[in-house]
Amino acid sequence: MISRRRFLATSTAAALLPGAARAAGAPMPIFDAHIHFSHDAAERLSASEAVAILRKAGLKRALVSSSGDAGTRALHAAAPGLVLPSLRPYRRRGEINSWVDDPSVVDFLEDRLMRFRWVAVGEFHLYAAQTDKAVPRRMIELARRHNLLLHAHSDAGAVDDIFAQWPEARVLWAHAGFVDPDIVGPMLGKHANLWTDLAFRSEHAHDGRVDDDWRGLFAAFSDRVMVGTDTFTPERWHYIAEHADWTRQWLTDLPRGLAEKIAWRNGEAMIRPHLAQLR
Amino acid sequence: MLSGIAAPAPALDFTAEEERRILRHGPWPPALLPDPSNRVSGKPAAIAFGRALFFEPRLSTSGAVSCATCHRPDRTWTDGLPRSRGQRIVDRNAPGLFNLGFNRWFGWDGAQDSLWAQNLRPLLDAREMGVGPGGAARLVRSDRRLSCGYRRAFGAAPGADDARIFVDLGKALAAFLETRVTGRAPFDDFRDALARGDAAGRARYPAAAKRGLRLFVGRGNCTFCHFGPAFTNGEFADAGVPHFVEPGRVDPGRHGGIRKLRRSPYTLLGRFNDDARRSTAAKTRHVRLRQSNFGEFRVPGLRNVALTAPYMHAGSHETLADVARHYSTIDEERLHAAGERILRRLDLSARQRADLVAFLETLTEKEPRRQSVEKTGNAVCR
Repeated sequence: MISRRRFLATSTAAALLPGAARAAGAPMPIFDAHIHFSHDAAERLSASEAVAILRKAGLKRALVSSSGDAGTRALHAAAPGLVLPSLRPYRRRGEINSWVDDPSVVDFLEDRLMRFRWVAVGEFHLYAAQTDKAVPRRMIELARRHNLLLHAHSDAGAVDDIFAQWPEARVLWAHAGFVDPDIVGPMLGKHANLWTDLAFRSEHAHDGRVDDDWRGLFAAFSDRVMVGTDTFTPERWHYIAEHADWTRQWLTDLPRGLAEKIAWRNGEAMIRPHLAQLR
Repeated sequence: MLSGIAAPAPALDFTAEEERRILRHGPWPPALLPDPSNRVSGKPAAIAFGRALFFEPRLSTSGAVSCATCHRPDRTWTDGLPRSRGQRIVDRNAPGLFNLGFNRWFGWDGAQDSLWAQNLRPLLDAREMGVGPGGAARLVRSDRRLSCGYRRAFGAAPGADDARIFVDLGKALAAFLETRVTGRAPFDDFRDALARGDAAGRARYPAAAKRGLRLFVGRGNCTFCHFGPAFTNGEFADAGVPHFVEPGRVDPGRHGGIRKLRRSPYTLLGRFNDDARRSTAAKTRHVRLRQSNFGEFRVPGLRNVALTAPYMHAGSHETLADVARHYSTIDEERLHAAGERILRRLDLSARQRADLVAFLETLTEKEPRRQSVEKTGNAVCR
């Protein structure tokens, strides 16, 4: 666990690291850790069209989940080297708030886990007051049995609870919990198997410059941060390339090695132990 | 037109908090100060010249489209179409042109930070009028009447700088459009009666409108975005409205607007701002591009809203009843769960939706000023 004092000291040191690294030649590959291809998106884009969008954006990998997993399966089938399938506990839109109390979600998960191969469970929405309910408990048990990453849209309390239920869990904290670096940093310090994506966050960078507090966090936890678009509406599929370009722009304000880690190396390292599940 | 006006209301039953929220929607009209970025703002000669320009079809490359094509005075300064048609069909709905002087940003995406810059946009867009700076400047220099109007408005004959003339046309149009302030509405009478403790005045407000107003300031939380006397906070929101223009093409909304703003030479930070102190430019200087801007559109003011159908940025909702139904059944999963939700599915009953519409209808000015426009513009120079 890293203390707040050590976190801030590391942050200050990191801010003094030598100049910005610039991507040269080909665009920097991106591991996009937060893509959804739910039924309403799949109605507008064929799998091949969706894959073409991902490739055109220069994505090296995409962690994909869907409300109704048909979209995820179709994308994975179309581009197995690009698309990392994650199983969402939602069969359709509208289950974000109800799934924790719906026992039939367990049947759905067990069925899909038996029939198909996955690297992760999520993105699911789970908050501290809900983690002790039977359905999320069972979901976490299933993830443990199948050695799957957990992609959690959660508050810090729920993340703590997940690790309490399964201390060896590997958790990707969606949107960095929508909290500031002074909370994210201690959480990453406390949980060695916690990673975080910056999907739908903008506070960390603007006009190609990285905010000082976030710069400190990135340096202190250089192996644990990654990026993501979050295609929570069909329209946002047409934002993936722009998000990748925006990401590359602010990453040039970081040392090259750190930028590459955030862009794709951290995602690759995080997912590597789970890739065996696809074989 | 004002369907609920006839029924007398029972005694006032708003809570103190509801009253506080209601009072913030007035008084109307507020004072309108000249725009410091526009040196002819409020000047009668510029207003007259702007009026003439508004109806001038030669400001389009086809010679057939004027501002009034999409902003028809006889249709509450809009066209009644979901997406307007200038020289070609465009991506968005034409809003009614009134109360513009109170805006912070202009266009559904806020790509313009002043009314004069907003007036240049259709002149630059080939789908709308597309005449551009060179074409507009040539027209003003060569046409005796327009040249005379320009000289009266700006105190000098049009010079050699096309861009300067072009921007000045936007400023004259702005001077004219600023004068378009809606008249008082039945809601204003109720609100003012509330302010002065006039029970009889309050009682004249229809019961259905009262119930709708209670939803508006209370459970609906509509007033969070539709704030203040103009019923808008002047900013942008994702109201869960799909924003595909056509298959495979998306309207990025505010995200695209900020990018355009930053590329534009016609902003308050540029050389065309007449205010050396840049006193209104802070918003432009500090605006930040955020991921959440994708799919956000400007929160429209609601005065005269009952007269400006269809609704939303691309006219996707035909009636106010449809708008009420949209918010009643909003797809919360289209709205990202970051922090506290502002918009929630309301699950309103049919009567509640009708009440909300009845309230919105009381925002219609009692005496529309449709007949005040002189279409020929001959008052400028003959």
